[in-house]
Amino acid sequence: MNGVFERLLGVPDVLSGTPALAIGLTLGAFFAGNWLFARLGRPIWLPPVVISAFFLSAVIAALALDYDQYREGARWLTVLLGPATVALGIPLYQQMHHIRAMWRPILCTLPVAATLAAVYAVVIGWALGGTPLVLASLAPKSVTAPIAIGITEQLGGSVSLMMGGLLVTGVVATLFVDLLARWLPVEDERILGFALGLNGHAIGTARAFEISHAAGAFASLGMGLTGVFTALILPLFFQF
Amino acid sequence: MGLLRGFLVLVLFYLLGEACRLVFALPVSGGVLGMIAMTVTLMTLGGVSNELASASQGLISVLVLLIMPGVVGVFFKADQFAGQWLAVGAALLVGTFLSVITTLLLMSFLVRRGQREDSQ
Repeated sequence: MNGVFERLLGVPDVLSGTPALAIGLTLGAFFAGNWLFARLGRPIWLPPVVISAFFLSAVIAALALDYDQYREGARWLTVLLGPATVALGIPLYQQMHHIRAMWRPILCTLPVAATLAAVYAVVIGWALGGTPLVLASLAPKSVTAPIAIGITEQLGGSVSLMMGGLLVTGVVATLFVDLLARWLPVEDERILGFALGLNGHAIGTARAFEISHAAGAFASLGMGLTGVFTALILPLFFQF
Repeated sequence: MGLLRGFLVLVLFYLLGEACRLVFALPVSGGVLGMIAMTVTLMTLGGVSNELASASQGLISVLVLLIMPGVVGVFFKADQFAGQWLAVGAALLVGTFLSVITTLLLMSFLVRRGQREDSQ
């Protein structure tokens, strides 16, 4: 009997060394976050990714798992981010007719707005004493996560801080678009959608699909173009 | 099987992107290069197969799951950024507010001007 008890005590240590535990926890938190989000009536200010992240960190802390060990196990999921980035090219292709219909305003707005989204954040962060590590982590804040991870690694920033920043940016961009649409006022759903995708990446795009299908299509487009444009431009800027 | 064939195409384009990044020493991630190659290829072919479309839709719908391990890191690495939180918070909040205003105003202006030109 003693042997069984001792082996039982050893189980958490052994399991925390396998990828299966990290993957199981991440999947569980993902579903729990989506479930609670639906139960709360889909609030704009609390997207499922935020709820899931809170669940997951609480569980990791409660089980006293080492974060680096967890991340090593979860690498099996993270590897899929590469093919997932490639997958973003398919909706981009499918929405090509929207670009054709409105290509001039889109092509004029994109470089200016996507550059300023990074410049505003870096300048404000720099003025308030942000270190180069922090600035490199803030620069891709409006870029969709799979692309932003690549950018931050290129710039030498912290992926963890960048991810946190991405989350906040997505949530507040959604709130600001809602607010400013009434304030300015802007009523064109295509413009609102484009602004949501350009500034608020996947979180803004999810919100745009709630407004209308056209807004969602323009948000996907804004998200995709901002991702590609920023990925090409930022590393060049940061070399100087 | 169809789903896996679509997934294989995505993986191949990703590997192609990574190979280009390494060979030409480009400062852009392999995923982005693969995505550009994918869009250009589809435009050339003029269509996308159901297998590829459903594989990409499946991956995109679980993006949140894939980024989760990175996201929670901010809770565990928070002490690294002690004394930086004002800079981080202001950059995110004020910066996003300004860039949203910029996008809305610029885009509205350009769309209105385009409509005026069309009607003339």
